Amino acid sequence: MKKLDAFLLILLIIFSFFALFPIYWTVITALKVNSEIFTIPPVFFPTKITFSNFYTPGTTFGEVSQTAFGSFPWLINSTIIALASSLIGTFVIGAPAAYALTRYLKNVWFARLILFMMMIPEAAFIIPFYVIITKLNMINTWWGLILVYISFTAPLSTWLLMGFFSDIPKSVEEAASIDGLSAFSTFYKIALPMVIPGIMVSIILNFINAWNEFIYALVLTYTPFPTGAQTVPLYLTDFIVIEKSFAWGGLAAAGVIVMLPSIILGIYAQKYLVKGWTMGAVKE
Amino acid sequence: MDNGGSEGIMSEVIVENVTKKFGNFVALDNVNLTIKPKEFFVLLGPSGSGKTTLLRLIAGLEDITEGSIYIGGKKVNDVPPKDRNVAMVFQNYALYPHFNVFDNIALTLKVRGYSKDAIKSRVSEIAKILHIEDILNKKPRELSGGQQQRVALARALVREPSVFLLDEPLSNLDAKLRVEARSFLRSLQKEVGVTTVFVTHDQSEAMALATTIAVLDKGIIKQVGDPYELYTKPKDIFTAGFIGSPAMNMIPGKLVKDGSSWRFVSEDFSVQLINTEFENEYDVILGIRPEHITLVKDDGINAKINNVEPMGAVTYLDIQVGSVELTVQYTGLIKLEAGMEIKVKFVEEKMLFYDRKTEKLLNI
Repeated sequence: MKKLDAFLLILLIIFSFFALFPIYWTVITALKVNSEIFTIPPVFFPTKITFSNFYTPGTTFGEVSQTAFGSFPWLINSTIIALASSLIGTFVIGAPAAYALTRYLKNVWFARLILFMMMIPEAAFIIPFYVIITKLNMINTWWGLILVYISFTAPLSTWLLMGFFSDIPKSVEEAASIDGLSAFSTFYKIALPMVIPGIMVSIILNFINAWNEFIYALVLTYTPFPTGAQTVPLYLTDFIVIEKSFAWGGLAAAGVIVMLPSIILGIYAQKYLVKGWTMGAVKE
Repeated sequence: MDNGGSEGIMSEVIVENVTKKFGNFVALDNVNLTIKPKEFFVLLGPSGSGKTTLLRLIAGLEDITEGSIYIGGKKVNDVPPKDRNVAMVFQNYALYPHFNVFDNIALTLKVRGYSKDAIKSRVSEIAKILHIEDILNKKPRELSGGQQQRVALARALVREPSVFLLDEPLSNLDAKLRVEARSFLRSLQKEVGVTTVFVTHDQSEAMALATTIAVLDKGIIKQVGDPYELYTKPKDIFTAGFIGSPAMNMIPGKLVKDGSSWRFVSEDFSVQLINTEFENEYDVILGIRPEHITLVKDDGINAKINNVEPMGAVTYLDIQVGSVELTVQYTGLIKLEAGMEIKVKFVEEKMLFYDRKTEKLLNI
């Protein structure tokens, strides 16, 4: 047993290193002065801390610049699009669909179809989505991306919440129907509040997925707010592609800002997430 | 706003030729029952007998396959549960975990459009009856099993339902609490006076609570009657064996005409019957309750004691008569030991004879 524990510990340290080192590197690069970014051998522990990669004096808030401060027009798009696709995916589609599938349409194939949809790689849908969104005149708009993102937030929410709904004792809902609640009120007033942990997990995972999404945003948007709907992952590429000098400091600083919501939500949702993943399995 | 609560409280429930199938499985087979107003009606049967299914049909939680159900004279086959003005207590209580006790009880009144003041006074009134005034602000998970049960009762009774349905509400309580809750429930029902249908598999619970009991087995009503009738004159072997604890003794044998009188002949003994008449000679099963076998000095059936169980007020004896083992209930304590030889006699007027083919009672 002891040997196995030690082996697992070493394995976990290696995994953690792989997961955490890039984050550490990004954060210290964001805080380094230019001279320390470009040295060989690399500097692992910066001697001087600077915030100039986040903000250069003289630029106004929201103005496009080489610092992370300029990410604002992209951040505003990302926030709105991620929030909307997460909330719509969870409340408008996911929760009602999951409830209906567990209570009324107990067809295993529907559930499997949803799982199947989640397994198809995003890239497979790029061309059809491009055609659809173009025809709808929604290229480079919030709604264009929101609609596309719902195509993966809604199935995830549905799948996840089915497990939670099926854990509710049927008698509680029967009690509600005897107490005089309609089917919709039973869902809304009784069942939904009982799956709040699932709702939380769904909102957060959807938000993180939409926030980090890159490929569709690249194809379906081309300008930042206010003229377009480009999201913040695309802002990061600007540092590499457009800037001839490769503004690593600014890129890292922007990276930190992009990472921040996911990390905060992830930490906050940890206890829900563990429960969510274990309960997400559909019970037959 | 009140869904006929005042006349509802006197509601009669009529179950007419009701059959319920789940796929090919027949859960209830042509059931007929009349549950009178204010009655404490118990559906008694082993698990799988269809008693809970019947309760759920009355509540409207399942669709009827064939037949009709009437509540207060109105056919309710197609009336949804919320419009039947029935109230139900579930086996697991089914309280709303995210509401506190007050809201659990008040929900049904809110839905039915009662005013805020009316809700408050109704809830506190019912909370007083059930002694739960001091836990109205707690969430269900903070309550003990007994408290949860009272909240479930309060939620069911708060709006004066026409029919009060209880699905084994005492089975989740520990033994002591169960006996307490039983007498409490009985007096509560008398006080509120609402027609009550109570499901249980526990015959002693049924005997203690019911004004009328319906015994079910495999989806068929075996017998309907008051506890006295069911105990003294069970109409078939199933009911005879199901009601009473310890169970009735069953001895296979034959009824034989012996000159002008009749005789019960088993493999191991025979009994002369003086006052009992039959139409024919039958293959029968003799049913005799443990308290109707008496110990005698002489002129009795020879038996050997297998086991003695002194309970205090009574003593149970397991005795061997030839190939059959019988239970005897002796009132009081008696100094006997396993292995001793005794003589016993059956009380003739308490002997019940069941036709072995039809399993029906032959005594008139």
